[in-house]
Amino acid sequence: MKLKQLFSALALAGTVTAVAAAPQIGAPAPDFTVVDSHGQTHSLADFAGKNVILEWTNHECPFVVKHYVSDNMQGLQQHFADADTVWLSVISSKPGSQGHVSPAKANELTASRGAQPAAVLLDESGDMGRAFDARVTPHMYVIGADGNLLYMGGIDSIPTANPADIPKAEPYLANAGNQVIAGQPVGKPVTRPYGCSIKY
Amino acid sequence: MIRQLLMVFLCLLLTVLATSAQAVSTGWKQAPHIQVELVSSHQTVSPGQTFLLALHLLPQEHWHTYWQNPGDSGMPTQIRWQLPEGVTVSEIQWPAPQAFSIPPLMNYGFEGSTVLLSEVTLPVDYSGTGLLVKADASWLVCEEICIPGDMTFELPLAVARQPAVSEHYRPLFEQGKAAQPVALQRTASYQLQDGVFSAVIESKDDLLVDAFFVAATDLVEHAREQEISWQDGSLLIRQPQNTYFHQAPEQIEIVLTSGPQAFVVQAQRLDAGGAAQAGTDFGLAAFLLALLLAAGGGLILNLMPCVFPVLSLKAISLANASGDAARQKRDAWSYTLGVLAMFAVLALALIGLRAAGAAVGWGFQLQNPWLVGALAYLFFALGLSLSGLVHFGSRLMQLGSNLGQQQGAKGSFFTGVLAVIVASPCTAPFMGAALGYAVTQSAPVALLVFLALGFGMALPFLLLAYSRRLARLLPKPGAWMDTLKQWLAYPLYLTTVWLLWVLGRQAGVDAQALVLVGLVCLAAALWLWGRQQLGRGFRLAPQLSWVFALLAILLLVLLQPQQGAQQSAENRHWEPWSPARLAELQADQQPVLVNMTADWCITCLVNERVALNTDSSRQALTDYGVTYLKGDWTLRGAEIHAYLQQYQRDGVPLYVLYWPGQEPKILPQILTPNTLRDQLALLANASSGS
Repeated sequence: MKLKQLFSALALAGTVTAVAAAPQIGAPAPDFTVVDSHGQTHSLADFAGKNVILEWTNHECPFVVKHYVSDNMQGLQQHFADADTVWLSVISSKPGSQGHVSPAKANELTASRGAQPAAVLLDESGDMGRAFDARVTPHMYVIGADGNLLYMGGIDSIPTANPADIPKAEPYLANAGNQVIAGQPVGKPVTRPYGCSIKY
Repeated sequence: MIRQLLMVFLCLLLTVLATSAQAVSTGWKQAPHIQVELVSSHQTVSPGQTFLLALHLLPQEHWHTYWQNPGDSGMPTQIRWQLPEGVTVSEIQWPAPQAFSIPPLMNYGFEGSTVLLSEVTLPVDYSGTGLLVKADASWLVCEEICIPGDMTFELPLAVARQPAVSEHYRPLFEQGKAAQPVALQRTASYQLQDGVFSAVIESKDDLLVDAFFVAATDLVEHAREQEISWQDGSLLIRQPQNTYFHQAPEQIEIVLTSGPQAFVVQAQRLDAGGAAQAGTDFGLAAFLLALLLAAGGGLILNLMPCVFPVLSLKAISLANASGDAARQKRDAWSYTLGVLAMFAVLALALIGLRAAGAAVGWGFQLQNPWLVGALAYLFFALGLSLSGLVHFGSRLMQLGSNLGQQQGAKGSFFTGVLAVIVASPCTAPFMGAALGYAVTQSAPVALLVFLALGFGMALPFLLLAYSRRLARLLPKPGAWMDTLKQWLAYPLYLTTVWLLWVLGRQAGVDAQALVLVGLVCLAAALWLWGRQQLGRGFRLAPQLSWVFALLAILLLVLLQPQQGAQQSAENRHWEPWSPARLAELQADQQPVLVNMTADWCITCLVNERVALNTDSSRQALTDYGVTYLKGDWTLRGAEIHAYLQQYQRDGVPLYVLYWPGQEPKILPQILTPNTLRDQLALLANASSGS
């Protein structure tokens, strides 16, 4: 009986500590060290002094497809690249699950879709995704030049898989990114991320 | 004969053809991993009628669609209706959802045959002969991967005077209704505070709820553990707040499941500041009612023996005065002004006192046993005065009468002022009620309540000035007034009893006995004083009276709140927090648990019920010899605020454990049943190890 109580207490203490880490707006973004599709290792510190946008992706997810067939995602990537902002696409699908790709396939997808990320990070272990509490694809984050997290949430305001809804939606990510670049506070720093679950 | 048969056959054929053109289901349509049909509850509908349409989804085994709150990912099924002008359709009446755990995420949705019902109403003046229902439905169907789907349905229905049910599909609609949660008319409120979603749902019959589903998106962290508990006729539910929380709707739906049954309640948002949002209208009504009651109370004040003579004197002088109506009106208004001025002064004094009181920490809470004892003394003394044992304020009354006899506007003004002063000994019960309401309100509201009380008190004078006949109707002062006064003593005695009961619960039966002895001393002192007023005192009577009075005060000062006493009444295992008590316990090297709470903080209440008032936590406090101090910040007292700031907090809950020789340990804001025991074990080990 005593032993059982001890175990349950330990289990409880375990859950309590596991819970603590959630990304917070205005606080330093979680650090990461992940290899990209060209075999190069990136960590957050490498981008100090630059604004960084993270895009969680899974090329087979209909919500991701919505933003690529419409060229919305590529347009955003181009726009922010022009504004000297680092765009990182992150794939956290575990091997064998939807969206998991080889480095070659990742590069081919970039080329065939006309995508413009600075790098495609292959987060097979899901460590980076869990550190950011990323839940869906597409899930978007903006990190300021000082390394603080400034935006987390959805790409826009209409949570559907229909490309026709994109022009009608409020472009949360584009607004947040532009406000960060302009040195303004982000109007809506947290929004609802929508899409497919990340296949951790 | 044959021709007749042929006719019948033709008629039948036509009927069959007509019916098939007005089908009641679109039939199954296949989409990837799911088939979908649109069905009507009636094959023939009539103007003015309300009927049901069902979007019937049948995903493949292990695949699911989503609820209105899909959880951490996914998308709710949507239907866009295209109906003729004037035909209205409800939102989807969602079935109770199921939870689908996909660690680390959680989704809410439906597996198997899913019936989404919508209610359609035809206008009474619908003139068409048919109704074409068009619907664009879109859904997301998922197993591990997700496939979006959309489809357009067209369902033509016949319109006739007599509606006809689609018998074949009756079971489908019964299934759809049975899957819906039953609406409960229960008071419910929710709050998001310090990263926790919590809700309180009135539940007298202790609904055995095993899970809950919040219909609003991004409020709760869906995948995290739900806490469900019951206490005092309330169901308390709690779950950490969603990381992506960004706005709290004023009202949300919460579905509660209890085995195969499901219920739904509407919960209002409760702001951390206190009243529920929806309470604003009610607040205004309550405020107007309070003003009305205050004015009524003021009116009754005139019947008090302390006031009535002033009034009747004035009334008689008015009734006798020779005809100058304008002057009488001016006098009446001057009197009203005087009364109002005095009440304004009283209100400002109260507001000032409240501010000061809040600053010194007793914040008008009946939690300080000395304050409760002093109030018991006060009410008892006022009661004895009304009973006629002693007369308070008789000199003031004299003065009031004298001034009241002065002529002119100035005289009237001072009559008003003094009427309030002289009335004070016998107005306590009415003032008490107004006070009780006013102390919990903002300063302007408190002021208005007092002014209403004053206006009520001055009202008879105003009426008298405008109507002579009323003045003649006034009852003459007489013995009845004294009887009324003596009757009014009893509410005061009852108030005293209530205060003694509060005291007994707070400080124990010994302290209560001590205060009762104090009351006897007080009675003796007042009796001696009263005899003296009647000129029947004896030598040393004044001195003896003072001795008794001092004894009564001394007994109150000596009052020692008893440690164990609190356990008796309601098994209370805590005592009120005060900086002095905390410092004292720390100086004595005692372990202490401090809990800062407030009535408007649901998180606090849930924590107490789930983790502090449990047998195991009580036992833990006893085992480790911990004194549990509870501070109530309901009225936002400055002293507790200062304490909170010591720990960089601006709100409650705050739990701090003090262990001798160690740094104060701040407990998490969400307590689990074992938090206290675990933390105490850690602290005890650490200190024995060091």
